Amino acid sequence: MRHVYTPVIGLEIHVQLATESKLFCPCSTDYIGAEPNTNVCPVCLGLPGALPTLNARAVELAVRAAMGLSCEIHDGTIFHRKHYFYADLPKAYQVSQYDRPLADRGELYISGDGGSPKRIGITRLHLEEDAGKLVHSAADGRLEGARESYADFNRGGVPLAEIVSDPDIGSPREAREYVSALRRLVRYLGVSDGDMDRGSMRVDANVSVVKSNADTGEILYRGDRAEIKNMNSLRSVERALEYEIRRQRATLESGGTLERETRHWNDGEGVTTSMRSKEAALDYRCLPDPDLGPIEVSREMLDAIRSSLPEMPWEREARFIGDYSLSEVDAAVLVETPALADYYERCVRSGASPLRASNWVRTEVLRVLNERGVGIEECPVRPEELGLLVSMLDEGRASTTVAKEIFGLMVDRGLSLQEATDRCGAHGELSQEDLELAARSVLDANPDVLTEIMGGRDLKGKKRKFICGLVMKETRGRATPGAVEDVIARFLEGME
Amino acid sequence: MQLSMTAAETARRVSEGELRPLETVDVFMKTAREREPNLHALLAVLEERAGHAAERLDASLSRGEGPGPLSGVPVVLDDGICVRGTPTTCASRMLEGWIAPYDSAASEMLDSSGAIICAKGNMDEFSIGCSTETSAFGATANPCDPGRVPGGSAGGCAAAVAAGYAPLALACDTGGSLLQPASYCGVYGLRPTYGLVSRWGVAALAPSMDQLGILSRTVEDAALALSVISGHDPRDAMSSPGDRPDYMAAVAVPDGKDARRPLAGRRIATVAEMRGGSDLAGACREALDRTLAMLAEAGAELVEVHLPLSFNHGLACYQVLLAAEASSSLARFDGVRHGLSAEADSLNSLYLGTRGKGFGREVKRVAAAGTYILGSDRYEDCYLRASNVRRRIVGELLDALAGCDLIALPTTPTTAFRRGELDGDYFGMSLSLSFTVQASLAGLPALSFNAAGAGELPAGVQLIAPRRGEAGLLAAAAAIERVRASRDEAGERRSER
Repeated sequence: MRHVYTPVIGLEIHVQLATESKLFCPCSTDYIGAEPNTNVCPVCLGLPGALPTLNARAVELAVRAAMGLSCEIHDGTIFHRKHYFYADLPKAYQVSQYDRPLADRGELYISGDGGSPKRIGITRLHLEEDAGKLVHSAADGRLEGARESYADFNRGGVPLAEIVSDPDIGSPREAREYVSALRRLVRYLGVSDGDMDRGSMRVDANVSVVKSNADTGEILYRGDRAEIKNMNSLRSVERALEYEIRRQRATLESGGTLERETRHWNDGEGVTTSMRSKEAALDYRCLPDPDLGPIEVSREMLDAIRSSLPEMPWEREARFIGDYSLSEVDAAVLVETPALADYYERCVRSGASPLRASNWVRTEVLRVLNERGVGIEECPVRPEELGLLVSMLDEGRASTTVAKEIFGLMVDRGLSLQEATDRCGAHGELSQEDLELAARSVLDANPDVLTEIMGGRDLKGKKRKFICGLVMKETRGRATPGAVEDVIARFLEGME
Repeated sequence: MQLSMTAAETARRVSEGELRPLETVDVFMKTAREREPNLHALLAVLEERAGHAAERLDASLSRGEGPGPLSGVPVVLDDGICVRGTPTTCASRMLEGWIAPYDSAASEMLDSSGAIICAKGNMDEFSIGCSTETSAFGATANPCDPGRVPGGSAGGCAAAVAAGYAPLALACDTGGSLLQPASYCGVYGLRPTYGLVSRWGVAALAPSMDQLGILSRTVEDAALALSVISGHDPRDAMSSPGDRPDYMAAVAVPDGKDARRPLAGRRIATVAEMRGGSDLAGACREALDRTLAMLAEAGAELVEVHLPLSFNHGLACYQVLLAAEASSSLARFDGVRHGLSAEADSLNSLYLGTRGKGFGREVKRVAAAGTYILGSDRYEDCYLRASNVRRRIVGELLDALAGCDLIALPTTPTTAFRRGELDGDYFGMSLSLSFTVQASLAGLPALSFNAAGAGELPAGVQLIAPRRGEAGLLAAAAAIERVRASRDEAGERRSER
């Protein structure tokens, strides 16, 4: 009997909400690079007598995310205290939501393995507070072997939306697609910056494999799921899941069994290792938080948020394909972030042809951003100027070579389009007189080549192209290839 | 200045320049110095802070700035209430030496009313206890009989008011922590409606029931203090918005035709389940009867309500919820950020060492019980069940209060017990809260006053009102106070003859 092993994956993603203050106190959420324990107060330190008050903006952002995921949103859901002792958790409980989440039953479409869109169900979305951070004095920064540990509570109390997917994800590739689709969504909605490397989006995966008869499809064994933690990039999500599925399959093939456990992804070694088994699972002793009332989500609030929702990324993608005749792949690249899509559209709106603008943004602009490690917001070339530059190409007022030279000057020297154009000596407009003058001087300087052409020995037209090239060089690329060819052709005709 | 001067009288004299704020502080300090060796009602005397506050008040009064309603009135706060820059221990080794870095709403409001916070009162450790004997820093004696407990948890505050250190004290009431010591020490105890007074800066025990309340020697002073501390506070999500009525008007002497029968038209209910209850001490039953007679004399119509659920299951329900919430509130004391921190070589031994040394026996017992109750295997059977019972008790009480204005019942089933008498008898101790947990579970306001016979140990009677019915409570207590005063006068006249 032949067996097939089918992975079953569900993801739990913590998204840091882009509020200015924490979930339950007025402290700043801007903890990256801040002096340790400076964004703290009695509330987020859990001092005796301090009480939480709910940040309305956090609720609004969580509702936005829930709307983007087409969830059902509930009025009057409550917070629970989830208890466990850890040095980064000031009150020894995390304020979270338990049996009544803010929103549930949503969906998100991703590009499935089969090539067509695939629906991934959203189990729930709830609000909770982040913990602080521990800094360990061990060389590798981990707790094991550290002589001292320091607690920094700047991150403690930052609002998170936890988004749990249904176990609808069928492969590591689909998991990656799901994470990137969710990241794109939260960025569009302005709910979070979605940066995985800064910890604004943290992914845990529940993964199991199902063994079935390849011929009949009969299910023979369902493995217990493992929860994988510590995957800090899209790539590590995919790698960790590939490893884990291989591991579970190998265990089953060798006659072993799988038990529910939590596993840690070690990115350096490319393996997952067991953290704790089901028996050691924590009992969180959930208690409805008596210090916080129900979360009010009124109809007016829902209407106001709904009317402020932007164009969704998938809508924008479809529009780019329809309106600008872009390929699906190119459109997907351009709508990755709302800022990049805006950049592209501003470029097109200032006159550039959509296809050429798409090529320039995807290649030249993204290359520069990658080299500099910055986002589109910090692109040294304004989209309107890039649009004008691309339209110079469109209208044959500049060659590709010159356009790239101008772009380079704008990027490297911070010049405006006008300044860079001046610097290149390329004003775009080259008078017919100047072109003819240049052609004449090239022909005069190369009598041998001219003789060969006139003698009918330039059968493949190579000599003619050589002459044209020299004219282009002479005009510093200001003339378009077509115009140069025309002039040379007329001169040669005149000589015959 | 007399020892027994009320807060209202003190504030009036200070405002009118007859008395200087420093003098009121001096009287407090002198009384405390004399009586503390025997009573031990206080954990910290804030002499320097009080001195500065008095000087500031003096200066502002001499600049002609308007006096506050509590100008120059010495006040004691229980040691679970944060006062910036002063020690706040909750009577626990866990917080020994911890200096609160921020002010509670109560201390802010007292400061701006001209009151002078003079000391922190002794209490049961983290408010867990009914006798102030679980304080890690020694027990407090009852000023009425030093061989007896003052009650608890707010025993230190109640004793300080009863002994005349100060006319007012503020303490947190959870299930009777303030009403029961008021009863044992013979002072007024007012537990306001849940949400009427901000809990900001008051260390939590069971947040769904914790409510800051008032201890005083007169009903007028309770009204005065309530008008200062009640108000909406956005820092406490459970604080209720809306205007507060004029509590002073409620205790003002009525005039005209109502003067003799101020409670005419009021229906005041006794609880049927109290009838023939063998657990009720004779002195407490007599105190209730005496009160009912005075209420009737003041014009009230006496009726009866049935509260079987509240009285048969209230205490058990309360204890389950108290333990669950307390275990959560106490979880934060782990040695990482504040207070005691044990020497340890791992995180786990830090927790064990700190919580092992920092908490006393009773605190550990309640925290362990709460941890057990909230365990996922027991959650439904214990916590959820108690929550459902609570909901039904609330319904029963609200239904009863729909048919009457106030409910009258003894505050405690007995008078103050002897020190050490119930040591280790947790169940026996908790019975002293048999009649106070109901108002706590329902978030209702309750006012306790002494109704003992002359020369007897104090025995409190309490009135319970619908939510936000403080004015009605105060009016009824004021009527009783006046009936009693007129009887006393009549008695004196008789004896003179």
